[in-house]
Amino acid sequence: MGRRIAVVILALSALMPLVLLGLWSVGDHWFFPTLIPPAFTTDSWRATLTGRLGAAALISGVVALATAVLGCAFAMPIGRAMARLSGWRRHMASALAFLPVAAPPIALGLGLQYAFVTLGVSGTIVGVIAAHVVSATSFLAIYFAGVFTALDPRIEDEARCLGARPLDVWTRITIPIVRRQIGDALALGFLVSWAQVPLTLVIGGGIVRTLPLEVYDYLRAGETRYAATGALLLTVPPMLALLAARRERVAPL
Amino acid sequence: MRLAALVAAPVLIGVLYSILGALGFVGLDAHGFTMVHVTRVLGAGSTWRGIGWSLATATVATAAATIASGAVAIAFRGTRLGDRVARALVAVPLPMPHIVAATLSLLVLAQSGLVARLLYALGAIHSVAQMPPLILDRFGIGYMATMAWKEVPFLSVVAISVLATRGPRLEEVARTLGATPRAIMWRVTVPVLWRGLAPAAIAVAIVIAGSFEGAYLLAPSNPLALPLLTYEQYRTIDATRRADAYVLVLVGLTLAALAVVALEWARARWDVE
Repeated sequence: MGRRIAVVILALSALMPLVLLGLWSVGDHWFFPTLIPPAFTTDSWRATLTGRLGAAALISGVVALATAVLGCAFAMPIGRAMARLSGWRRHMASALAFLPVAAPPIALGLGLQYAFVTLGVSGTIVGVIAAHVVSATSFLAIYFAGVFTALDPRIEDEARCLGARPLDVWTRITIPIVRRQIGDALALGFLVSWAQVPLTLVIGGGIVRTLPLEVYDYLRAGETRYAATGALLLTVPPMLALLAARRERVAPL
Repeated sequence: MRLAALVAAPVLIGVLYSILGALGFVGLDAHGFTMVHVTRVLGAGSTWRGIGWSLATATVATAAATIASGAVAIAFRGTRLGDRVARALVAVPLPMPHIVAATLSLLVLAQSGLVARLLYALGAIHSVAQMPPLILDRFGIGYMATMAWKEVPFLSVVAISVLATRGPRLEEVARTLGATPRAIMWRVTVPVLWRGLAPAAIAVAIVIAGSFEGAYLLAPSNPLALPLLTYEQYRTIDATRRADAYVLVLVGLTLAALAVVALEWARARWDVE
């Protein structure tokens, strides 16, 4: 009995969020105490095509894509180097790599802001991407350290012995072996940026309007229909990533 | 090692700038060395209340999420269909961004939210005012509930994998040595689970304590959570007080650094790969 109730609670916790957001995104004149929306409208969904929500989703997508690619490019060699360490050096390195993850994002943002103002990228999309890359690189370096720990370094040594240059080792040995993990890392980097708020707020200075910022503004303005629509859009890429990861796991080798 | 230091470099640059800012060397209203910002921030009750509030809510939310995840992992560790369905369901909210969780929380727990409407339909309340405030409330009940709900999927995934990889062999040994099911549960399963979960739980507590998104929408304005207090100081119109934000940044980073040390210590002590 207890188990059944637990399964029902888990099912509600898994499915209700999407159902509720969906309902709220189309409910019109839906005020307390009515349980079901008295009328429906699709105006907030039309705004995803032509209005603020659509523009914000586009900016978020571009920023997240750039963050994923740059984050992977930086994090891969760092993770590989970390995997080759042992003992206290390994713990020290993973503590250092973890620092940007652990640092409160608002503290990271304010700390970075001066450097970004000096470089002239504060308040620009380039600055926002750079700030997101800092955070994503940290996540991804830890991820790649795990990936490369599982990879036998002798494969690369062998290639070097046979005369491969460092670049050849990367492009013809290492990258092909971890190709799937790079795909996962790109998804992870995308998601780190996609949901980012404080770094965008501080470095973007309110000028770079990503989707999470629009959701905030709609919520604070009491525009729950638009906020719910934006929130639903925000869940799409993460849910797709989760589905892809599940499919990969059940796929035959 | 040098490359890992490169990842930390932006944080270190941030720390350096924050130190210079906090001591009055750089920034909008900088006139050279001064301790006025440091003494003002560290002497303010709001700073300590903010730190206390952030740490307390993060601890309670993490503890609740950890217990719930452990219970899910133990209850649904079998191979029956119900177990597999439950394990799949618990992971579904995993990738949901914090801001979406906070949005939902507002729609469900606010005084005119779904819970209030259900209570009204059941006749338990008759107006919005009768609904106890769960959002922006002093104790952060809605905030803690949201954070705990948001972190259960992650901790459950870790707990399930810990039990699957480290549990069965030790439990088998205990059973062979004549332990009762109750003894196996409390002296083998739960300790194994805790050791595997501890690093993840510490990481979750760090994330919650530093999280901006949830607090921005759900936390009260008094006391103000540490990340919000930092942002507020940074945005203040009084230019002479802006540097106070950098002192708060340093406080936040110090707490984070201590937490990272705790995390590495927990990993070195308990992570038996």
